[in-house]
Amino acid sequence: MQTKDHKVLVANRGEIAIRIVQACRKLGLAFTCVYTAEDAASGHVRIARELGGDKSLYRVSSYHDANELMAVADDAGATAVHPGYGFFAEDYRFARRVSQRDRKLIFIGPSWRVIRELGDKINTKRLARSLGVPTVPGSDRPIYDEMEAEKVAQSLFEFQEQQGIRKPLVLVKASAGGGGMGIEEVYDIDLFRSVYRRIRNYALRQFKDEGVLIEQRIRDFNHLEVQVVSDRSGRNPVHFGTRNCSIQSTGLQKRIEIAPGFDPSSIEYGFDAAQVLRDITQHSLAMARKVGYDNVGTWEWIVTRDGRPFLMEVNTRIQVENGVSATIARVRGQKGVDIIAEQIRIGLGEPLGYGQEDITFEGVGIEYRLIAEDPDNRFTPWVGRVDGFGWPERPWLAMHTHVPSDDPYDIPTEFDPNLALAIIWGKDLAEARERGVEFLDTLVLEGANNAGEPLRSNVRFLRDNTGRILKF
Amino acid sequence: MFDITQLLDEIKASPYEEIVVTAPHTGVVTFADVREGARVIGPSGTWKEKKGTLLATIERERNQKPIHAVEKGEVKEVLRHLEGTFVEAGTPLVRLRHFLSKDEVLAIILKKALHLFVAPERAKYYFAPDVDKKVKASGPRSVSLHEGMDLFIMSRMKREASLAYSGPSGVIYAVYFQHNENVDAGQPLIGVCPPDQLPLIEDVVARVQTEWEERE
Repeated sequence: MQTKDHKVLVANRGEIAIRIVQACRKLGLAFTCVYTAEDAASGHVRIARELGGDKSLYRVSSYHDANELMAVADDAGATAVHPGYGFFAEDYRFARRVSQRDRKLIFIGPSWRVIRELGDKINTKRLARSLGVPTVPGSDRPIYDEMEAEKVAQSLFEFQEQQGIRKPLVLVKASAGGGGMGIEEVYDIDLFRSVYRRIRNYALRQFKDEGVLIEQRIRDFNHLEVQVVSDRSGRNPVHFGTRNCSIQSTGLQKRIEIAPGFDPSSIEYGFDAAQVLRDITQHSLAMARKVGYDNVGTWEWIVTRDGRPFLMEVNTRIQVENGVSATIARVRGQKGVDIIAEQIRIGLGEPLGYGQEDITFEGVGIEYRLIAEDPDNRFTPWVGRVDGFGWPERPWLAMHTHVPSDDPYDIPTEFDPNLALAIIWGKDLAEARERGVEFLDTLVLEGANNAGEPLRSNVRFLRDNTGRILKF
Repeated sequence: MFDITQLLDEIKASPYEEIVVTAPHTGVVTFADVREGARVIGPSGTWKEKKGTLLATIERERNQKPIHAVEKGEVKEVLRHLEGTFVEAGTPLVRLRHFLSKDEVLAIILKKALHLFVAPERAKYYFAPDVDKKVKASGPRSVSLHEGMDLFIMSRMKREASLAYSGPSGVIYAVYFQHNENVDAGQPLIGVCPPDQLPLIEDVVARVQTEWEERE
């Protein structure tokens, strides 16, 4: 079967669903979208109606229901499933079911064995250690037992005291959570139990899983990522550079992402930044080769102030911020790299067709996550209606959004109030920052809620933080 | 205070409610042998463990899901043209005309008689842990409320905030929200009965019990 004969089920919503549809069109592939009642006004529904062919849009009861997705795939004649991020993206059982059922489909992501291997944090750490890759200390798996949890916390406090850390602290987080939700810090072992119980109850309510992870929180670090891309052979992974995702909300959710991860050409660091970037890309690729990684993925690192990197985890999926790496990447000198399109192309079985020596980088990319939230009030999500949304088109700007700019849009309460991703390119850090500020200053984003209060967004926060981009 | 006689008369003038039975999820529909005009029954038994009349089945991934009438009533329309087709979630399948039962009439009237504590925002609501324990152990009427007490956990986009009760002291007489379902802003969460109004409320209950004739 040739690549162009495939039909892709887009098993996601919002902005990522739109980008997957656009990537499918670029590759000449047919697609099918799904949506729930709450999302009827979302841009991904509109784009599926406008651009989709026969059987290209279905209403389903839930994005979390695998049966629903399989039933739609069969009715629509889909041959592959793109999970996007979140939902089923890192669920190896789903990936296995998709590829082993009677009417087999291609899971556009790593093969299920790879997801299982790297999705398990103990395995990932064991693998990393066997290759001499440093990892973050902490519980290697979700803990369900209070006594055990306390023991791990105790040992982490002791470990930090031995390291000479003055104010040791431990991070307690819901294992099934993600994106910075259900995380609390504990400074005192005596308070640990109550925090543990609170997070456990929260996890049970929200995710129906009581598992809790207990980790050491390394303060004063930068959060870096390495974008890895590898075809189904699993033998020749390449990297599309590094990203810096250190500017986050108080709940540890990313707000600004920059590629590359550091900029030693214009900023002075207290360590050899270029060497750190080289080290983490080499470590990431070594692990990818070892497991036979066979699609796109991200190796997440933390780098301490003295320039030591620790592997945090591997995300076996496309990430929100893939576009910021693409904007500075050139393949054989050509612009217009699309990592989602590459993911689909190699996911369907085509060879990558180029090697690391063909990939170069030019300039600096900044991604802003535009979110309806109140940064002054612990980033509380804002719910209401967006009735003014617009920006001047620029050659250096790419906007990804599911929010219509010609119609009012009610933010659904089911999902995070992410409104758009803005990706800005500049020939160097100074130009990228300048353009970022120009974009934020000319952006129109207005609305009101039921009580008539005006829309709250993080635009001001993004602008204020643009100045400290890539500094450490 | 409201006029219960007038309210009862109003409800008697239009004692019906249209219920649209929709597809709970995608799948291929097969209708059961139900015709327009036929009587159907809703779930029955002490714990509503006996299912209502079978209206249709929907098959997805080789699993058949029966769709039963949720209330008793009369079949107004069966959307037969969907027979054997793959339908999307939420597609209307059958329309029923349902005659209000005693309990439903009582609920309508109580909603006017009780003090309603409404949802400030569209969100999911849970009772606070202490209250939840009491509700589960001895029912909502065992919970006495006073101004300022922690009553709910409000959850939006997986972020939780606690919500304190405000209003007259009293017991929780009715609960209007479902576990894990969204409640719109302004919709009631609970109905509260202050102690001095208990006899009055019990009187209302007694009147509905005697005056409302349940029709088939």
